[in-house]
Amino acid sequence: MDILVGSIAAGILIGMVLALMALGLTIIFGMMDIVNFAHGEFLMIGMYTGLLTAQTTGMDPLFTLPVAAAVGFLLGVICYYGFIMFLLRGPMVAQLLGTFGLMLFLRNLALLFFGPQEMVVHKGILVGKSFDMGMGIIMPATKLAAAGLSVVAFAAVWLLMHRTKIGKALTATSLNAQGARYMGIPTERMNALAWAIGGATVTIAGALLVNFWYVNPYVGILFTMIAFAIVALGGFGSVPGAFFAGLVVGIIMEIPGIWDFFTYTFDSDWMAEVPMTSFKYMWVYAAYFVIMVVRPRGLFGWKR
Amino acid sequence: MKRTILFFFLFCLGAFLSLSAAPAMAASDTIKIGAIYPLTGVAASAGKELRAGAELAAEIANKVVEGLDITIAKNAGIKSLNGAKIELIFKDHEGNPTLGADLAKKLITDDKVVGMIGCWHSSVTKTVSAVCERYGIPMINDSSSSPTLTKRGFKWFWRTFPHDKWFVKDFFTFLTGMTEGKVKGVKAIPKSDIINIASACEKTEFGASNDDLIKNFAEEYGFKLKKSLLYGAKAPDVSSEVRSLKAAKPDVMIFVSYTSDAILFIKTLKAQKANPKIIWGQDAGFETPEFRETLGGDIEGVLTRAVFLPKIAMVKKAAGQVNKLYNEKMGHNMSGASARSFVGVQTWVHVLEQAGSTKPADIQKTANSIHIPGEELVLPWAGIKFATTGEEPGQNELGSGLIAQYQKGPDGTVEMEIVYPFDVATKDMIYPFKGF
Repeated sequence: MDILVGSIAAGILIGMVLALMALGLTIIFGMMDIVNFAHGEFLMIGMYTGLLTAQTTGMDPLFTLPVAAAVGFLLGVICYYGFIMFLLRGPMVAQLLGTFGLMLFLRNLALLFFGPQEMVVHKGILVGKSFDMGMGIIMPATKLAAAGLSVVAFAAVWLLMHRTKIGKALTATSLNAQGARYMGIPTERMNALAWAIGGATVTIAGALLVNFWYVNPYVGILFTMIAFAIVALGGFGSVPGAFFAGLVVGIIMEIPGIWDFFTYTFDSDWMAEVPMTSFKYMWVYAAYFVIMVVRPRGLFGWKR
Repeated sequence: MKRTILFFFLFCLGAFLSLSAAPAMAASDTIKIGAIYPLTGVAASAGKELRAGAELAAEIANKVVEGLDITIAKNAGIKSLNGAKIELIFKDHEGNPTLGADLAKKLITDDKVVGMIGCWHSSVTKTVSAVCERYGIPMINDSSSSPTLTKRGFKWFWRTFPHDKWFVKDFFTFLTGMTEGKVKGVKAIPKSDIINIASACEKTEFGASNDDLIKNFAEEYGFKLKKSLLYGAKAPDVSSEVRSLKAAKPDVMIFVSYTSDAILFIKTLKAQKANPKIIWGQDAGFETPEFRETLGGDIEGVLTRAVFLPKIAMVKKAAGQVNKLYNEKMGHNMSGASARSFVGVQTWVHVLEQAGSTKPADIQKTANSIHIPGEELVLPWAGIKFATTGEEPGQNELGSGLIAQYQKGPDGTVEMEIVYPFDVATKDMIYPFKGF
């Protein structure tokens, strides 16, 4: 029983952070129908920002979030005005290949500056601490904090999108850019803002992740794939969709633990033989595949 | 005028001939051995160590070194070949098996090497040795551990280094020794205390072959393997793996991991408050300086398979003497990698000395019959003797592994202490693992 509860709890925790990471992708896609392949690289930059800020200033990685957010915000704006704005005028394939190129560029830039070796946070108030909550739920403090802060960031973005004028202008731009322009909304600036918010959320997620995951220049690709799965599951452009899909994907990633529970419950030999942990990410991509075939607009999607 | 031109032409020709003859004469005084290692790329740090170890062995062989009690230090060069010197020609394979094979071809056809040494990566050793086999050039493999290398029935391939089958077997011998009270500082414990085992192996060639070995030996030695899982070494999170291991309630946890995943496992074990009685790492990540520096006091009590540690000097005089020279040369102690290449070149010197010839057939005959006693070596082996029959021709039969335990020294730093082989143990073992 311990392992079942423990796995699901861990899945939910990590799911919250993954959801925050995917949020930026869904906002950008919802706004301008452009798929950002460099999303994982933004996350990688967020991780490096958190790590290096913590290392140079000596503060706890958790307090580096504002720095990471600022870097992400700027990165989004620079990418939009310096690159994406021009891509949007080109054909669809140019947009796809363009962000793919951005991904390669950022990755190699990181390789140049930081080298191929893995870097990891060793010190911090929460690093290495965990709470035993009974029932087999052992919560590492870093994950708990990351999940909590993810929820806060999510709520902030939701409020921004639904309770402010800027949010309404963003929504209007994504629904009908031309109409919005006629109404006097500066759509170019809204697009840039979408990239900025997207960049900031994902770098915050990165700075949260670096508390317990290592970072190297290649770490982005894994997360890009997971983020795509979350966005597809939740529906392209849906903020609450991204949140719930994040939780679902987090739990899917814990399928090996759930499998173990049944293995021990039934004391089954053949179940023990199945190498579930070797394929723990497979289920995420399988879910992505199924949702693409069965319900392409996702569970909560409104874009068709 | 014509005559001047003719003289000039003849002079040039003469000069050319004498110049080209000079290296040819010099060449007869040196014995070229091709050394193919990963000098750049992700394994470059290991490559640097391998090169330094090999170079030191060649330097010692090429001159008389006072105060060093090993045979190769007694003569300048190969005595039976009129004092011919060893010349190592280093090439960089970058961890690429195809490049390794090309370099081997080049060394054999262009540089006319007498023999080959290398290559660290089992995958590269595989292709390089295949080229050597085709050309009939002897290769001594000093540093690769995949069991399959000596199972191909090659006639020109010898391996000094013991492979993973040895190491896994060593660990189970060690566990059995614990139940018999053979471990220094630990009274005999009932087998039921350590019978349940769980293992996590990374899922490429290294981990997957070890996974099979662990399954086989656990059965042979009467232990219960409750859980064995394979994981991706590049996975940034292993918490579900650790939960799975913990759920099996093992007494002993075995890891076959590279560096970052080894560190991640220990961190996650700590976060999830795992409390096995024994944790053993099958070398690789667990033996790296990075592992120790990153985790510090957390790894006190963790066991790892090890190749070389300075403490070997306490039981082997040669190890201390050679390590001192190495330290003067490089500014740090020998590592597992440099000790392996040192022994590899040392073996070459012994073979050439005894063969008294650089003909491949003579070298082959000598390699198949040579016996280098253990006290010659910097590694804690009984010696070097290659198998000529059986399943693994060319494999050194006298090699063995070490099992070391991380323990806190008097000054608070974490150091490796030998706990196996039992007769060379340097300190009492800490048992059970104190937990995190």
